[in-house]
Amino acid sequence: MNAYVITIATIIVINAITVCGLNVIVGYAGQISLGHAAFVGIGAYSAALLSTKAGLSFWAALPIVIAICGFIGLLLGLPSLRVKDDFLAITTIGINFIVEAIFLYIPFFGGALGIGGIPRIMLFGMKVKGLVFFELCLVFLVLVLLICWWFTRSWAGLASFAVREEESAASSMGISPMRFKLLAFVIGTAIAGLGGALYAHYMRFISATDFSFPVSISLLSMLVLGGMGNLWAPLVGAVILGSLPEIFRPLVDYRILFYTVLLLLMIRFQPAGLLGEDSFARHVFSSVLPGGKK
Amino acid sequence: MNRPLLTVTGLSKHFGGLKAVDNVDFELFPEEILGILGPNGAGKTVCFNLICGVYKPTKGEVILDGQRIDGFSTNEIANLGVGRTFQIVKPFSSLTVLENVLVARGITRYNSLSKVWSVWQSSAEKKAALEILEHVGLADMANRKAGLLPLGYLRRLEIARALVVGSRIILLDESFSGLRPEEIGQLENLIQSIRQDGITVLLIEHNVRVTMGICDRIVVLDHGRKIAEGEPEAIQQNDRVIEAYLGRRRGKDAA
Repeated sequence: MNAYVITIATIIVINAITVCGLNVIVGYAGQISLGHAAFVGIGAYSAALLSTKAGLSFWAALPIVIAICGFIGLLLGLPSLRVKDDFLAITTIGINFIVEAIFLYIPFFGGALGIGGIPRIMLFGMKVKGLVFFELCLVFLVLVLLICWWFTRSWAGLASFAVREEESAASSMGISPMRFKLLAFVIGTAIAGLGGALYAHYMRFISATDFSFPVSISLLSMLVLGGMGNLWAPLVGAVILGSLPEIFRPLVDYRILFYTVLLLLMIRFQPAGLLGEDSFARHVFSSVLPGGKK
Repeated sequence: MNRPLLTVTGLSKHFGGLKAVDNVDFELFPEEILGILGPNGAGKTVCFNLICGVYKPTKGEVILDGQRIDGFSTNEIANLGVGRTFQIVKPFSSLTVLENVLVARGITRYNSLSKVWSVWQSSAEKKAALEILEHVGLADMANRKAGLLPLGYLRRLEIARALVVGSRIILLDESFSGLRPEEIGQLENLIQSIRQDGITVLLIEHNVRVTMGICDRIVVLDHGRKIAEGEPEAIQQNDRVIEAYLGRRRGKDAA
């Protein structure tokens, strides 16, 4: 594999990790979030600051980064999850813009210059780069998929599905909708934090625009393309939306046209996503793929 | 008669100037079937929602076994052993019938952040859920998606979920509406058997024949107020009830 392919593949895997977090919030608990990039950004900035200003290693900083993202997720989830559907969508867009503005305008976060000079991850005394970084990301992706898989099998997951399907019926069965929405939100934002930390140490330079609203849209597109609520959807979505622009690079002038056609074909033939309910792939692989939409 | 299980005193719910429920009192005794009867818009479902914690009463008290529960949230009241069904069925559509019942079986865990991490698809849980489905006659449908079931089955699914939650009382909100005559018969038998299992039933109905047939006592509401209370025979003779409801209704039924 040459460096170009490894770079694309690494970004795809980091996106897949991030989208797994989004899947817990949107796919499992049914709470729309259009501001997921903000939490990736909070993870990336925390990791960057902890390594450049506090001098912590990636490994020492990682639990702190994940805790920060989960905690901020809890703080922002408390007021925003009181509203539903369209209103929640607008609230989360707002969160995205505010977080981006904070990174952009507060000098502590590097302002428009961003944060550079983020050290490489060290593992067994060696600098992690290239293929090894990709493999490290794959290990984290497997861990995140295991966590998501466990979530779908736990009572917490079942309660989240119930809240997603019918909130009032769920609460008549002893489920506090707010508690399980928050739980999903915190798990989702914590996973986003992990993705952000990996991103920061991979790019080694971050700026506020890396975590702007269009990034949130693209993360959500990956999830929708893969099929919300399916364990494997984040991976499928990230691979397709991450590799297609590269494969079709010669057709760069027609990229928007191509996306539009793809979007229309999806809406027409696979409205629940490639791995969604009644999708073509589900019919073919139904016996092979565990942990489907519940 | 022994101590009431559920006592409602001076219960009122006003939406602006509209008095949806106005100063309603009644008592529900253990192991009885009490019906709340009334024409459309009489305030029956609002009354239910006040008991279940969906609304907070404007005035009045709801007391469950000596404990005041008005103002409690819906999930807290469910945790006290009060199960309910919905007039407009609310299945968890993309889950299977069995999984719908399993959601209800989790009621003992949802309050503790440490208990919710264990696996719900255990064979013991599935077996217990399947027994409940057998009880309501849905065992054949266990692995179907709930969203694909016809109404009659969904009503029974709602009762199955309410039975799991409602160890003390189950509240049935118009479970008979939209059912075919033979389905009504089956459901009547089911409700009788629930009572024989020692569970108290409070049901809302505007189908007079059904209510008269299975209820021990009936409370009649009209325009948010209680206009009568008593045994079915007495209710049938009550002038105010006939005026508000039965008279018109009987005429229609005869036609």
